[in-house]
Amino acid sequence: MMWFIGKRLVQGLITVWFIATATFFAMHNVPGDPLLNDRATTAIIRANLEAKYGLDKPVSTQYFIYLNNIAHGDFGISFAQENREVNDIIREHFPVSAILGILAVVIAAVGGILWGSLTALYRNRLPDYIIMFLVILGISVPSFVVAALSQLGIVTINSLLGRTFLPVAGWGTISHMLVPALVLGLTTMAYLTRLMRSSMLEIVNSDFVRTAKSKGVPPARIFARHQLRNAVLPVITVLGPSIAAITTGGFVVEIVFAIPGLGRFFVEAVQQLDYTVIMGTTVFYGAFLVFMVILVDVIYGFIDPRVRMN
Amino acid sequence: MTTAATDLQHTHSLLEVEDLAVEFSTYGGIVQAVRGVSFAVERGKTMAIVGESGCGKSVTVQAMMGLIPMPPGRITSGSARLNGVEILGRNIINGKDIRGSQIGMIFQDPMTSLNPTMTIGDQIAEPLQVHRGYSHKRAFAEAIELLSITKIPEAAKRARQYPFEFSGGMLQRAMIAMAIACKPSILIADEPTTALDVTIQAQILDLLQDLQKETGMAIILITHDLGVVARMADDVAVMYAGKVVEHGGVDDIFYRSAHPYTLGLKLAMPTNDPSKQHKLNPIQGSPPDLFAPPIGCGYCPRCPYSMKICDVKDPDILPVEEMHESRCWLQHPQAITVPDELYCGEKA
Repeated sequence: MMWFIGKRLVQGLITVWFIATATFFAMHNVPGDPLLNDRATTAIIRANLEAKYGLDKPVSTQYFIYLNNIAHGDFGISFAQENREVNDIIREHFPVSAILGILAVVIAAVGGILWGSLTALYRNRLPDYIIMFLVILGISVPSFVVAALSQLGIVTINSLLGRTFLPVAGWGTISHMLVPALVLGLTTMAYLTRLMRSSMLEIVNSDFVRTAKSKGVPPARIFARHQLRNAVLPVITVLGPSIAAITTGGFVVEIVFAIPGLGRFFVEAVQQLDYTVIMGTTVFYGAFLVFMVILVDVIYGFIDPRVRMN
Repeated sequence: MTTAATDLQHTHSLLEVEDLAVEFSTYGGIVQAVRGVSFAVERGKTMAIVGESGCGKSVTVQAMMGLIPMPPGRITSGSARLNGVEILGRNIINGKDIRGSQIGMIFQDPMTSLNPTMTIGDQIAEPLQVHRGYSHKRAFAEAIELLSITKIPEAAKRARQYPFEFSGGMLQRAMIAMAIACKPSILIADEPTTALDVTIQAQILDLLQDLQKETGMAIILITHDLGVVARMADDVAVMYAGKVVEHGGVDDIFYRSAHPYTLGLKLAMPTNDPSKQHKLNPIQGSPPDLFAPPIGCGYCPRCPYSMKICDVKDPDILPVEEMHESRCWLQHPQAITVPDELYCGEKA
């Protein structure tokens, strides 16, 4: 198992290096540069500034300086915001995004497994039809619509109750987190429900479930010990990419609910051509996702002995 | 009715299945997979159910065990009594600790019949926990014991392994260990050797015979392999198109075949005896469509001895001699010309 984790970590490191390299060269090929703004600079000042920031050096040299800095955990200083290091931005805002994202993933995974099992067990009966209808809705309605509608819902509930039952926007307490996390996880939950349903349907008719029945194992125990663990494997497989979808999709929800997460800085940095912030957040997000995927792989290994042993 | 058949009704066999009928609703219509099957299993004896694919032999036992999905499956009639007590019906077989406790079952493909994410030991321990209320520790210890009974070396180590670490033959041994965990009075083996290679087949059959000698359990052996039948069975029921067409002792079936289908099966059997070298004679045609079962005898279109009546009226199962019955008009007292190769008891 340790060997398995170690191998995954090395693979992850290589992936992050790829991301960093791709980001660096992509940013170099974007038209415009940070010294090009409204206040016109003369050629001499420009050359001096370039020399100061090392932009006169060959691209390969710049690349190695950049890699070296990243390796030391230094993403540089923001170009657009005054006197702010990229590290500070990440340190302040990433925990907010992470909490929101993890909460969303947990809601999506638990909900997906639960609803998926339910639809499979009630196949072609009313609960199945209702849930599968909601699933289609969840997959097809974009998150900003759901976010706005849920805010409308919160306002209605609050005004009916005459007090603030749930805050409409903002950040700080658990009640602030619930609705945004649900909205953020909804699409993934719908997707996982479908996946869980089909996987569960396959397991329900599998030979080993028949064996369990022939042993006289009661249905509840068959569900818990034979069906669930095997049916959940495909769901866990897509959980890694799902985490990616949730974290990158997070900025829409963060903006609608006025949540001070990293996603907003990520998007704003692109709009403002804030090079260091773009590169810093991209590499950081990349590393985070790679780590989550590794985590999912490890969890998978715990659930499926076949993966663990290979 | 002969005296032996009458006696059967008074003394309880271990398991008596009577007039069992099962059908499945499908998009194409209703398939009558089993159309009135009766047989009895005696204590400590091996009863083989033989027949080609789709003749309803697996469905018969799975319906009895409550293992066919309902819907689409449906038991339309019949009864199955274990020691005289009715077990047919889902709630009964679940509620009375019969499955896995009084009747154990093993299946055709051991590779897919075990839970891939549970250790072998845990899976063998499960029936003990469910039916006997053993603690996990005690059940697991017993599971190791059962593995060594089924001749798996290093049982303690093997019990902690997962199915993917076992070979096919080992898995079938583990399945057997699981099925006999609660010392059932009947073991149902649904084509236990079909998915295994020939040398392993022999080992598994030997194991089943040894276990039967030790525990005195009855075995219902479902197979399409007449070689397996000859080796294992005491009694044989030959099934065709959802019905038992011939029923009798193993020697009756092999040496005194009283149904044209059984004869056909025997002629289609390869032999390595040079003195008996003959061409393989396949049975021409194919079994009837069970979406619309024939009114007459199901075997009639393929039968070389078919008569006018065969096409319009299905014969009852007729006694040939003591404990030997055949569902064929040629066994009827009024049958005029009976072919020499067909055994007809003392009547001929």
